[in-house]
Amino acid sequence: MTVKNENADFDPILLAVLSRRLEAIIREMSNTVMRASRSAVITNARDMSCGILTYDHRLICVEEAMPIHVSALDLTTRPITELFDDVKEGDAFFNNSPYLGVTHHADMTLCVPVFAGSEPLFWVLARSHHADVGAPEPTTYLPYAATVYQEGVHFPCVRIQEDFRDKDDIVRIGLHKIRSPHIWYGDYRAQVGACRIGERRLHELVTRYGIATIREFIEAWMNYGERRATAAIRELPAGTWRHTSTHDPIPGVADAGIPITAEVSVDPDAGRISVDLRDNPDCVPGGVNLSEACARGSCLIGVFYNLDATIPHNAGSANRIDVHLRDGCVVGRPTFPAGTSVATTNVNDRLINAVQCCFAKMGEPHGLAEGGGDFSSGMGVVSGVDDRDGASIPYVNQFCVGLSGGPGTHDHDGWLTYEAPNGGGVLVLDSIEIDEAQYPILMESRRVATDSMGAGRWNGAPATEGAYRSLSGDCAVFYCSDGDTNPAQGVFGGHAGAPSGNWRRSANGDDEPLPSFHEARHTSDESMVYRSAAGGGYGEPEARDPQSVAEDVNRKWLSAERARSVYKVALLKAANGIDFTVDEAETRRLRDG
Amino acid sequence: MASRFSVCIDIGGTFTDCVVASERGLDIYKAASTPPAFESGFMDSLQLAAEEAELDLSAFLKATSTIVHGTTVSTNALIEGRTARVGLICNEGHPDVLTLREAPRKRAFDWKLDYPKPFVPRNRTCEVRGRIDARGNELIPLHEADVRDAVEYLQSCPVDAVAVSLLWSIIAPAHERRVREIIHELWPDIAVTLSHELNPIPREYRRTISAAIDASLTGVMPAYLERIEGAVRDAGFTGSLLVANCIGGMMTVEEIARQPIYSVMSGPTLAPVAAQTLCDEPDMVVIDMGGTTFDVSAIRSGRLIVTTEAMINDDLLGLPKIDVRSVGAGGGSIAWVDSGGLLCVGPKSAGAVPGPACYGHGGDQPTVTDANLVLGILDPDYFLGGRVTLDPDAARAAIVPIAEHIGLSVEEAAYAIHVTSNENMIAAIEDITVNEGLDPRDSYFVAGGGATGCHIGEMARALGIARFMVPRFAAGLSAYGGLVSDIRGEASATHPTSSENFQLDAVNETLRRLRVQGDEFLQRADVPPSQRRFAYAFQARYKYQSWEIDVPFDDAQLRESDISVLADAFHRMHERIYTIKNEADEVEFTTWTVRAVGLRDAVSVGDVRDRTRRPPPLPTRQVYIGAERAFQALPVFNADALGEGESIDGPAILDSRTTTVLIHTGQRATIDGQGNCCVEPTESPIQSGPGA
Repeated sequence: MTVKNENADFDPILLAVLSRRLEAIIREMSNTVMRASRSAVITNARDMSCGILTYDHRLICVEEAMPIHVSALDLTTRPITELFDDVKEGDAFFNNSPYLGVTHHADMTLCVPVFAGSEPLFWVLARSHHADVGAPEPTTYLPYAATVYQEGVHFPCVRIQEDFRDKDDIVRIGLHKIRSPHIWYGDYRAQVGACRIGERRLHELVTRYGIATIREFIEAWMNYGERRATAAIRELPAGTWRHTSTHDPIPGVADAGIPITAEVSVDPDAGRISVDLRDNPDCVPGGVNLSEACARGSCLIGVFYNLDATIPHNAGSANRIDVHLRDGCVVGRPTFPAGTSVATTNVNDRLINAVQCCFAKMGEPHGLAEGGGDFSSGMGVVSGVDDRDGASIPYVNQFCVGLSGGPGTHDHDGWLTYEAPNGGGVLVLDSIEIDEAQYPILMESRRVATDSMGAGRWNGAPATEGAYRSLSGDCAVFYCSDGDTNPAQGVFGGHAGAPSGNWRRSANGDDEPLPSFHEARHTSDESMVYRSAAGGGYGEPEARDPQSVAEDVNRKWLSAERARSVYKVALLKAANGIDFTVDEAETRRLRDG
Repeated sequence: MASRFSVCIDIGGTFTDCVVASERGLDIYKAASTPPAFESGFMDSLQLAAEEAELDLSAFLKATSTIVHGTTVSTNALIEGRTARVGLICNEGHPDVLTLREAPRKRAFDWKLDYPKPFVPRNRTCEVRGRIDARGNELIPLHEADVRDAVEYLQSCPVDAVAVSLLWSIIAPAHERRVREIIHELWPDIAVTLSHELNPIPREYRRTISAAIDASLTGVMPAYLERIEGAVRDAGFTGSLLVANCIGGMMTVEEIARQPIYSVMSGPTLAPVAAQTLCDEPDMVVIDMGGTTFDVSAIRSGRLIVTTEAMINDDLLGLPKIDVRSVGAGGGSIAWVDSGGLLCVGPKSAGAVPGPACYGHGGDQPTVTDANLVLGILDPDYFLGGRVTLDPDAARAAIVPIAEHIGLSVEEAAYAIHVTSNENMIAAIEDITVNEGLDPRDSYFVAGGGATGCHIGEMARALGIARFMVPRFAAGLSAYGGLVSDIRGEASATHPTSSENFQLDAVNETLRRLRVQGDEFLQRADVPPSQRRFAYAFQARYKYQSWEIDVPFDDAQLRESDISVLADAFHRMHERIYTIKNEADEVEFTTWTVRAVGLRDAVSVGDVRDRTRRPPPLPTRQVYIGAERAFQALPVFNADALGEGESIDGPAILDSRTTTVLIHTGQRATIDGQGNCCVEPTESPIQSGPGA
């Protein structure tokens, strides 16, 4: 694909070098957050993202970041210049308010202005999902919190550093209000380290190339993103499509579930896409309403999932996508003080699924099936007291041990370690040993769940199942398991993935089903058993390549019985009595008969 | 008799390079690699060296103290999937560690890709009951019947080697050890890798994948090393034979046969080591185009880059490794036309057998070397100093079908192959520079490998690189690196302790043991005590962090007062890396490392004082100049005879016994005091101004 280069005078090698250089700076920032932080959800699962914006709030680039964290970053930095008229070098601003542009209250975000001399040029930003937010309950996801007053501490875009030094009074709010404050402070300091590294590297870049070149580069880079997005949209069919994905019922909040509908319109001639969310329910009396950052970000995410992945995800490419939101809508601009504690996952994942599935309605080879949503107790927030080493130390942390399965798409099965639509598969799966070293939890099992995938010509990825228990007295597990009732749907005849689920396993080995939105309290001889949500399939399973079906059975993702009943593939045992091969004749009979 | 020679032999896919140090300096010899019996090429290269020294092979070897060996045998086996079939024994409930990995995705937004298969298939993976917790408590005893069932199952599969990786074996290794005992009881000959012995780090995926890769190489490396060592010992060698490893050090044959994963990328890691000794530039890009692959590495601020995230196909290696990246782009890479009519070069290579068509060994596929011969860059009568005569007609004949397919003349097609090969290599250079945010134009380029000289001039122009060096021993850059570098070994042990409750005696005991191991290593490598040096380091983190940083320290034996010194060193290093430190916080020390260094006497590279300052040029050669689409007569010089300070302006050809360098218009090559060819622009960039 060639498109006219409107910035032909900008050195193409320098365009590549500088854009990669900015990505490398973000990688170094992210690496700092991940390695210098204290809580496992950041150091292990990497539930954090960094970004660089221009000082006038245009996103320049994101790298290895969680899509939901970074797709509407401009909303996070804008309040700073609206609220402060004295931003200066050495400042740092801390914000976790969903009403001031942050995704949800656990995504505490540090923003640092970068100056060249007296002139502000950039924002560097580090967003980490903190392990605790000082809410009434020890969790960062509160589905029943109807208002912000039930969410714990909000830092509503405050100046937390001046002259490169912490403002102790502001820090003290966190130290007094948040559980395991030393861990919170260590995590916050890692964000400081990341932003100061970003600031230092950008200074080096400006010194090396000069402000004028950097300014030209930014414009060339934005134009490049916009050209790429325009060219990709021009290759799509014209039309308007709608898809609805329904969030599971939440008792007392949304007893009938929450249907989320996206309407996607493509105008190839203009090279524009619009996503309209205005025809959706009002805010619900619980914590699953989206923040504006999530609603807007997820519309972009659902579109970008269907465009060439090499298009830069910057303000330029985002310019080609029009998002229509409504005040007071569950997927729009929430009305203060509506609760948004769970804004980044649940209903948000339904929204991304709804947008991405609109593309499937354009016909093959477009679109994706639905991906498995967050989050069963395999992603639960666990708290208790660690007395393994003598002293009794309270702990709270989100474990990311059971990620959901990705959607099937044309020519490719779903991605196994997908996590959820909002994460783009970049969340890292917890190391069992690191979790067990830091917390008194025994990860008894974790494996791919056989026969869970959404069958299709291209399968949705299977679920992950497992069990864990406390090694140190009672523990509490908070989770919001969307997908127990409404599993991820397939497209073009593909089947739905298996639903997620949560059970209490007693000492005698019996499994008792638990509610989907729940705080489970277990003794140390009871286990928390989870299964994440599998992805939906793409195309009819009878059309799947029989060799791939045999491979699925050999890797124990599929039973021979389901290979026969669902995929119409018959198998034979090989000479070693272990491996399966395709019984060609019988398979022909099954499929043609 | 005092030893007079030391030797480094680097075996690549096409050539076996042998660099010899003696009183008169260094010499380089190249023999064809001889897969699968690589030991023949190994001995052939030694034979060439012995002849040059006017000794018979046995006398030459008796006068040789050390042979360092680099080899890409294990790397190639992994990349091509020709390793042993591995079975994995793991904990009940955790059979998918190698499938789940750490969630192997870096880039969001891309769904048009397939989830990678695990290194060990799920139906070659056996779960056994038995569980240790993070504090070393046995929660479930090892069920030996499960192990016996697993062995029987893996025998039926069958597999050639077994990796055992159990949770928390690094804290309490008894279960892993007992599993090995039972395996060997039932299956005495099978190779077994225990994860805690190979790679004693927490993080089950990294430890398990390294154990599995190691097990897969037990079918490749020990037999290979036995053949090499057998051949050289039979011929009379009594000195020490060392193998270069993946972290810029060396190991004895016995050590590397026991832990073959350390031989991954063994040869290519020596190239950046070599470049460090050739010049003082702080930032360098080191490229090496051999017969089969093109290897790229970088030096930043004078330091080798070590990565803990090195990938082999779809998996982490699990161990730290010098960051050298390799693509299938060498002189032997085969040109072909894809279904869309696009000319492609590589990654398939003609290798050593049959080799390029022009070698006349039965090859009929067009390679980059054939193209360079047709273009006149190579002299058919002076390839490898005339030891190999090239057949231009065979080269042309091999290229004709390509030329006809894409509708070009044979010369134009040859030039297209040459340029496409350049583009492949430029992409690999950009991967380690541009993709890391580094401008290649800020780096000094050191170009090694026998084939690089034909391409570097034009690649430098394409990348905008003004200055580069083609070293005198470019054709054996890695082998040269193995000869000039110190002998390095490393020993580590996990011993968790903390600044609040430091276990001084236990740590001292660990350090003492590691120091003994390092000393024994240097002993085996024949390093005299006066030449032995030891450096110490620990890996540590703040309490509740989960990633350690590496901190060097001085003393072998610690006193009470040193504990705060270690903690301070950690705070400083943390601040240096992350810009922040938290001095009030507890520091957790996890791993202790002793690095043993055997200093080698400075090898005299030899100088060029005996050379005629400027010998008369050789007869001109007709070389195809792409920009003009025509042949042009270029002056040719014998690079082996040019004296120090002599400069040649491009366009010109510098021929030497082991390589050919094509200098383009605007480039000036100057011979330095060691015979290296240093290229700079003929004039500084034209100043723009009135009238320009």
